[in-house]
Amino acid sequence: MNAVISNETLHAFVDGELDVAESEALTARLRSDETLAQRVCALRSLQSMVRLAYAEPPVSTGGKSLVAPRRQIMQRCAMGCLILIAGLSGGWVLRSLESDVVAGVSAPAIGGFQAVSLSRVADPDRVMLHLDSAAPERMQAALDQAERLLDEAEREGRAMQLEIIANSHGINLMRAGVSPHAARMARMSQRHANLQWVACSQTIARFTGEGQKVELLPITRAAPTAIGEIVTRLQQGWTYVRV
Amino acid sequence: MSMISKILFGPIRTGMEANRPVLYRIAYAWCHDAALADDLVQEALAKAWARRAQLRDEASLKAWMVSIMNHCWLDHLRGRREFDDVDALQDEIESGADTPEVCCNREQVIACVRAAVARLPLGQRQVLTLVDLEEFGYAEVAGILDIPVGTVMSRLSRARASLKITLDNAAKQHAAQPALRRVK
Repeated sequence: MNAVISNETLHAFVDGELDVAESEALTARLRSDETLAQRVCALRSLQSMVRLAYAEPPVSTGGKSLVAPRRQIMQRCAMGCLILIAGLSGGWVLRSLESDVVAGVSAPAIGGFQAVSLSRVADPDRVMLHLDSAAPERMQAALDQAERLLDEAEREGRAMQLEIIANSHGINLMRAGVSPHAARMARMSQRHANLQWVACSQTIARFTGEGQKVELLPITRAAPTAIGEIVTRLQQGWTYVRV
Repeated sequence: MSMISKILFGPIRTGMEANRPVLYRIAYAWCHDAALADDLVQEALAKAWARRAQLRDEASLKAWMVSIMNHCWLDHLRGRREFDDVDALQDEIESGADTPEVCCNREQVIACVRAAVARLPLGQRQVLTLVDLEEFGYAEVAGILDIPVGTVMSRLSRARASLKITLDNAAKQHAAQPALRRVK
């Protein structure tokens, strides 16, 4: 495990090219290996320097600016004509097209929260709720929301899958002895077989590193990373809601 | 406006136009010449529009356009230098830029990094800018430049190593010869 890590691997790590397991192993090693941490830090700062250097590339000042005003007028005229033609001839076509486009863009909302989904229509039967804060009202909201969704699905006779994913301070919801809602959560799990509680291992590792002992409620499962879990689920067609 | 051009030219035209700043940044990082970068972008956009039927996957529009621009840039190099072995050129040519000198404030850092990037061999410069500026994956860069992924990794590694050395040296130089301090 103490083998020297090659520059190539380190570059791949910084560029996010390693797979989840490799990059987690490296992240874990970074905590103890100071020279390695310095190398990564140097790479990152080099990267941000390059980014800074080209954030605002100079604009070329060719002879084009001289022609621009006239060209702009012509362009506007042409644009005006096009609008007129489009309005006169294609009114109906345009109308149906426009309403189509608007329907595609509208963001789905689930129970008053903004939902994200990779497909056009958010899937109401596979939903993940993401909690990243320990604020009592946010925890409360997450549980209320989960229960509302599950009850609704039950009433309508749908088989719904719901995951509550917690990372950062949100993980307190799932810690044994810390969670203020342990009893309610156990009840919920008993009633709904398709309800899952997922905690982020990276967060657990961080808390542990800071000297806190993290024990999860028995109903909870740990995923390698919360973000990884969310991305995988999104790709599988789930709907994401941040509480 | 965008609605109308979407109806007239289809969504792909809008997508191409939206990539203009991205292309310009990359082009500038490759050649460090604003006018030439502008020309390259214009040429790449025109070619992309003409060949739009060849684009198989709209999600890869950006990578596809950058790869077209890469061809424009190589064509330009072939035209300018009177030999056509661009492959050999990729590892050798360094631009005639001055060595970066003192870096202290923001503008100087920018100028300094640009000078250091400009001194990298062409192939390394391209890989570095694609990965660092636009966060293309290694596989995407390999596709864009039409080289193996292993080459992408080794070029990137060498590019970053020499960039670091150049910048470190510049910083040391600065430390060794303190410039005149302005006294208010």
